[in-house]
Amino acid sequence: MIQGGIVAVNRWFQSGNYRRSYREDQTIFATFSEEASLLVLLVVLFFVPVMPFMNRSLFRLVDLALIYTIAVMGLNLVTGFAGQISIGQAAFMGVGAYAAVTITRDLAEPLLGFSGTIPFWYVLLLLPIAGLVAALLGAFVGLPSLRLKHLYLAIATLAFQIIFTWLVGHLPWLEQGGSIRIPRVDFLGQVIKSKLIGPFYYYLGLTAVVLLAFAMRNLLRTKFGRAWVAVRDNDRAADAMGIDPGVTKIMAFAVAGFYAGVAGALLALLNGSVIVESFTLDISIDLLAMVIVGGLGTMPGSLIGPAFLLFLDPWVERLAAFVQGFFPATINVGTALRPTVFGLVIVLFLVYEPRGLANWWRILRQYFKRWPFKY
Amino acid sequence: MIYFLQLIVTGVSIGCIYALAALGFVLIYKASRVINFAQGELIAIGAFIVYGLTVWLGLPIWLSLIAGIILMFLVGRGIERTFLRPMIGEPIISVIMVTIGMASLLSGLVFFTPFGTLTSRFPGYLPDTPLLFGGIVLRWEQLVGVILTLVFVSVLIFFFTRSTLGIAMRAVADDQLASLSLGVSVERVFGLAWAAAGMSATAAGFVVGSLFGLELNSLTSIGLRVFPVVVLGGLDSIAGAVVGGVIIGVLEQLASGYLDAFVPGGGTGDVFPFLVLLVILLVKPYGLFGTEEIERV
Repeated sequence: MIQGGIVAVNRWFQSGNYRRSYREDQTIFATFSEEASLLVLLVVLFFVPVMPFMNRSLFRLVDLALIYTIAVMGLNLVTGFAGQISIGQAAFMGVGAYAAVTITRDLAEPLLGFSGTIPFWYVLLLLPIAGLVAALLGAFVGLPSLRLKHLYLAIATLAFQIIFTWLVGHLPWLEQGGSIRIPRVDFLGQVIKSKLIGPFYYYLGLTAVVLLAFAMRNLLRTKFGRAWVAVRDNDRAADAMGIDPGVTKIMAFAVAGFYAGVAGALLALLNGSVIVESFTLDISIDLLAMVIVGGLGTMPGSLIGPAFLLFLDPWVERLAAFVQGFFPATINVGTALRPTVFGLVIVLFLVYEPRGLANWWRILRQYFKRWPFKY
Repeated sequence: MIYFLQLIVTGVSIGCIYALAALGFVLIYKASRVINFAQGELIAIGAFIVYGLTVWLGLPIWLSLIAGIILMFLVGRGIERTFLRPMIGEPIISVIMVTIGMASLLSGLVFFTPFGTLTSRFPGYLPDTPLLFGGIVLRWEQLVGVILTLVFVSVLIFFFTRSTLGIAMRAVADDQLASLSLGVSVERVFGLAWAAAGMSATAAGFVVGSLFGLELNSLTSIGLRVFPVVVLGGLDSIAGAVVGGVIIGVLEQLASGYLDAFVPGGGTGDVFPFLVLLVILLVKPYGLFGTEEIERV
């Protein structure tokens, strides 16, 4: 038997799987070169805003991608890792967003007297608080999971989503779904507006994504993560092993709610206001699509999926403008092409690559890990 | 009192629309355990086909209804062939997402046709003056809806109990492997279930079109209303679809009739079925007539 440490191991470029102890098996990165490549990626991402090709619309796309990545991470956790299908993630985002806005409007402004702008330290407090509010609602929505499974649970979350949209649209306290403004952020004396919004929310979003991804990856390594996977695979067997499936499922919903709440609050800050249309069933379905296209139950999937689907939009618009020429003017190709392409992408992925883009990424990584060997 | 009875009558007729939509849903679930998120789109496509046949080809309305139903039979089978056949055996989240993707794709395709922005009604084929019973108003179109529902349900009951193909479908719904071993073509049964769903969706779309006019969004939103109906009635029960549909229709009308005054902006009828859905899920998840799933370790 070869003990770890006795055989010389190149921790930078070893080819293949050389984890020899439980302790090594628990690490996230198998080689130093993996860690280094992640750091290089982060450095590259850090410099994106100063690239010459960045303009306002591209910034908006990237900021939205980062925000949706956070929500999709939460959804991937509850649906991919814990196996509880949730068609209500947009509602949790909405809870976080509306919590942020109403706390600012009803508590912070009268009590702390902000005039026109909100300070950055307040934003740093607001994001986790919005997340916690959404987590509480997530735990509440997770209660049916104690009794319902799979399909019926999905229908219950669908009902919650619709009830949420209706409630927000009818409560006068929430302007019946109309626009509620949130003031602009004051960062170190500089009010973030117009041209500064893009880069500021890019860095804020990127920090949030990195922190939350780190947290999620570590959560999955702990007993909570293993409990979620156990409950997903066979909750009766998990129960027999001593894992309480009810508590585990509720916790999955709560954590997913937290992530969605933070994402929703960031969206509110980015837009400067909230409207109910940002958190409807269609958005929930978009989020589910991002999860599936990215790769259900994988960590890189939550990062790739939203970016892929969001960056698809401008291309669809260009295609629509091109195709419009062939159709009579009464038919708006833009409104026709977007859902068509969206649906087509989902169906094609599910039929031909059900494990999502993360599978392609995995194959790519394995190829480089094993190079120059074939297997 | 008259108001209450009027709400009940309207509720029953709306409920019959839901029942027709839910029939197709239940058939698909019964045969293949697939949840069809695209039922709304099927309703829309069916209604538009009938409209097209009536308005553009000039067929008399009843003939175009029959022709539309036959065409949707083929469309339903085609949909099952293209989208669901490759997904046999995949986990349920994938199948749900395929129907969602399909719904998106179908509604996108509808936008390519002039039907996407259509807001018209069927040409009038029934007397305009509604029937009056005491103080209760019943439009002819609502009566047509009720009659269509009864026709569909009786045809389906006859089909499932008397014909060989119907019994084969019930066998597949019960135990796929056993029916395969007996020579039943499971794939044909799936195709037939989706075809039947298309047919009942056309009927539902026809009634909605006659009552409220054709508009893509309102037709597809019926697809969402189907969920409270099938959960209440039982996901795999035809009788449940009808009973559930009528009950949800009545409850919706009663809610909007009596509660709208208290709610700013009205529209209580939109959310009430979903509250009922939640309550049913927590109290009796398999619905009134659904078969209970007993999990064995």
